[in-house]
Order: sequence, then C-alpha cells, then structure tokens
Amino acid sequence: MRFILAAALALAFIAAISAGAVKIDLLSMSEMERNILFDVRLPRVLLAGLVGAALALSGVLFQYVMKNPLADSFTTGVSASSAMGAVTAIMLGLMPYLPLFALAGGIAGLYLVYRIASYRGRIQPITMLLAGIVLSTFASATISFMKFLSDDAVSSIIFWLMGGFQAATPLKDLILFAVICVSFLSVRGDYLRLDILCFDDTTASSTGVDVNRLRKKLFFAAALLTSFSVGYAGIIGFVGLIIPHILRLGNLVKASYLLPASLAGGAAFMMATDLIARTILQGGQELPVGVITSSIGGVFFLYLLIKRRKELFYFN
Amino acid sequence: MIAVLGNNGSGKSTFLNVMAGLLEFTGGYSIDGMPFKKMAQAESARRIGFLPQEAALNMPFDAFYVVLTGRFIHSDGRMYSGGDIACTEEVMKRFDVFHLRDRLFNALSGGEKQRVLLARVMNMDTDIFLLDEPFSGVDILHQIKIVDIFRRIRKEKIIIVVIHDLSFAIQHFSRFLLFREGRLLYDMKKDGLSAGRLSEVFGVRVGFAEQDERMFVYTEEM
Repeated sequence: MRFILAAALALAFIAAISAGAVKIDLLSMSEMERNILFDVRLPRVLLAGLVGAALALSGVLFQYVMKNPLADSFTTGVSASSAMGAVTAIMLGLMPYLPLFALAGGIAGLYLVYRIASYRGRIQPITMLLAGIVLSTFASATISFMKFLSDDAVSSIIFWLMGGFQAATPLKDLILFAVICVSFLSVRGDYLRLDILCFDDTTASSTGVDVNRLRKKLFFAAALLTSFSVGYAGIIGFVGLIIPHILRLGNLVKASYLLPASLAGGAAFMMATDLIARTILQGGQELPVGVITSSIGGVFFLYLLIKRRKELFYFN
Repeated sequence: MIAVLGNNGSGKSTFLNVMAGLLEFTGGYSIDGMPFKKMAQAESARRIGFLPQEAALNMPFDAFYVVLTGRFIHSDGRMYSGGDIACTEEVMKRFDVFHLRDRLFNALSGGEKQRVLLARVMNMDTDIFLLDEPFSGVDILHQIKIVDIFRRIRKEKIIIVVIHDLSFAIQHFSRFLLFREGRLLYDMKKDGLSAGRLSEVFGVRVGFAEQDERMFVYTEEM
C-alpha cells in the first residue's frame, strides 16, 4: 500500500507538470517551456498537491474529533465560514487580503461551533455536527445574498467557491507547506492516542488518554489546515471525506498508517483532478476543480458504498 | 474480590465511575496513601483498569489491536513494544479469545466482544480493576473460566465487579457492597449476608438453601 501511494504520488506529479495547455517534454525543454514550468505550472501543481494533502489530513482529524466518519471541513462548517470570510473580502474590494479574511472567517466559525458544542469543558460530537450544518447553511445563504447584491463580482465569487489553483504562487506554496508541517508534526506523536480515541470516551479516558485536550488540539490543527486551503484555493469538497475513506477501505485503519497516507493520497488525488480540470476542455479553457472532485469523487464514493457496504457498516 | 450488588439505578455504576475518576465527586479517597484527586490522569490509569458497562469502537480494528491498546499506559506513547505484544498474546490466550485475534472487533458477537474487552482491561495490568457487569452476555463456561482467573490473581489485585447474578456472586466473591437508592447500604463479608438484608436491598424476598457447603439462592416477589 505504501508503494502504491508513493507510485501514485510520483505519477500524478510527473503527469501534472508535463501535461497542460502547453505540453512540456521534461527531458528536453526549450527556454519558453522552462519558464512556463517554473513560473506557472510548478507552483500550481504544488499548490494542488498541498491543498489536497491539507484537506485530506484535516478530514481525518475532524473524523477523530467527532468520532464520525462523515465529518470533514465541510460538515463542521469551517469551509463555509472561511468562504464567507473570503467572499466578504471580494465584496469589499480587498482582494489582496482574501486569505486573511478566509482565515478569520474559518476561525470565527470554528470558535462559534466550538462554543456551542462545548458543554462543561467537553466537546459534544453530535451538537458539533449540528452546529456545523447550521453554520454551513447560514454561510451559504450569506454568500448567496452577497452574490445577489453585487452583479459584477458574481463570476469571480462563483469560480472562487468552486475552487481552483490559478492564483498559485511560490510564496503560497511555502506558507501552506509550513502550515501542513506544523499541523502534522503536532499530531505525529499522538498516533496511539488517536487510535484509542476511537473507543467511547469513558474507555479512552480510563486507558490514560486526556480526551478533551487531545480533541481541542486536533480541532485547531484541522481548522488551521482548512482555513489556509480555502483561503488559497476556495472550497473543494469531498477530498477530506473520500480520501480517508478509501484509505481505510484499503486497510489503513491505524492512525500511524492513516495520517501519512492521507497526506500522500490527498496530494496525488488533487494533482490528478487539477490536471483533468485544466486539460479536459479544448482551447485552454478550465473547469473549476471542485466540479471534478465532486463528480469523480461522488461516483467513486457511491461505488464504494454499494460494493463495500459491509466494511462501512463495521466502521460504526 | 468484591461484588457490587444492587438494583438498576441504585448507584453501582456511578460508584465505579467515581472510583475511576471519570465523574466529579466531593470527598476523597486514597490509593496507597496517595489522595486520588491529586493523581494525574495517566497515573490513575496506571493504577485503575476500568471496564465500562457499554463500550463502543468506531474504527474497524481487529480484536488483537483492541486488546493491545490496553497496554497504552505501559508504552512510550508512540509505539507498542515487543513486550506489549507478548503480554497481549498471553492475556488473549488466558481469556480464550486468541482465536479471534484477526477478526474485526465490531463483527464479533456480544459475548465475544465482552471477553475481548475484559482481556483488554486485564492487559492494563493495574493493581485495581473496576469491572461494570463483565459477565453480561458471556456464556457460563467462560464465566467460570474468568472467575477462575480472578481467583488466581486476587492476592495481588483488587477486583471490584458489578454483578446481577446473586447465586454466582455469593458462590465466588468474598466481600459485598450492597447499594440501594443511591446509597451504600451494607459493606460486608460473606458471613454477614442474610436473607433479610438481601431482601431489603433488592426489594424481593430472598431465600438461601445450603447443600454440600454450597449456597443456593432463590427469589420471589414480596
């Protein structure tokens, strides 16, 4: 499995940097091709890979926090509130500060959900899920309202909400890479605790795991990953939900396998989908990448649900 | 070996949860002269193994890994050692669940799950075990095997068990905590048990019959 993931990652990377509106022969590049590769394509492919990794990892973390296989950045409302922050930035004409607004929105949403779901110092998983759904609905409604108010910004808003990697720069790549490193390293020592968190809280605490402290840490790491992803690439659904699911069905159930694998799997998946998004239409046109993830992801997910119902059942 | 007896809602589980440090409580108690409230969570987990009444797992782990997680307090927190794995194999054999090791925990039957969870708690190798209805769903053969294991370790360990089968408790346990309506009514040795006291605790008429130094218990409505 480790080999398959590494191969998929390498393959997706090579395919993604060589194919596109201008095909690049990696072995003999012209001056122009070299410029395209390093100035445009490489930052974009890297951003796609990093966003994929960040979303998949945040999905896994949210699933541990909520003890719910259907949790991810979307169902907790963090994606939508980040997006609301970003759209506010577009409305106010503060485009350069868009990632900051997304981050502020994401953290504000997270804090709200966290406060609602906290009761006597504990995070209640079901309240959190409900609060997340309410927040998502509210944020979407607000975004729709803002769309209604300003006609000229509509196309920009729509495209942004569907997700995409056009705005990639090496600096964004670097920042997102740092965010992933910080989040991943902060939970790397907790693999055994994460596995024990899959038991009920009573069992987990009496086994010696400080459940609430661990939950809070995971919660914030996941929110950080989500906010930066949304800030740089918009809302891209399904990655945080589908990648961990596929990996678990591939028998990677222990945290020590699942977390690193979700980084690699998310990155490979996102680079491949972005490649499809920018090559599927003729004449250099692009599809929003969210359209691809949702359609490919959705069909594949449905296939898994039907074919592997038994294993999914035993998840609960 | 201590049996905790009482009707539903009489405070048995609350008592165990408080002892395990999972519920807030007033007052205090000590383990080996150390006040329990001063203990960190990791320390209390090293002292007390707790089997809750209803355990749940929401990840498709195999039975072996479930039992292995009981070794968490003995591990370095990052990886289970070869010693932890050896202990796990040993305890699974002892509780007759080793043949289930590769099966998914959630695919096991209720009684099998219970035995795996019991093996998991015993794998913590603590001085004190608090077991909330460990025999529920377990067949008679394995109930006896389990009690036999308890009996062999009772010299070094304190084992406190919530149990509903009165005959079984009287046959195998030596000390009894009797709860009624949220209060500890009696704390007594076997010889202190009487039909009158048991009737008071359970609200049913309890009678004893003795034969070949074995006690048989029968019950009827008052």
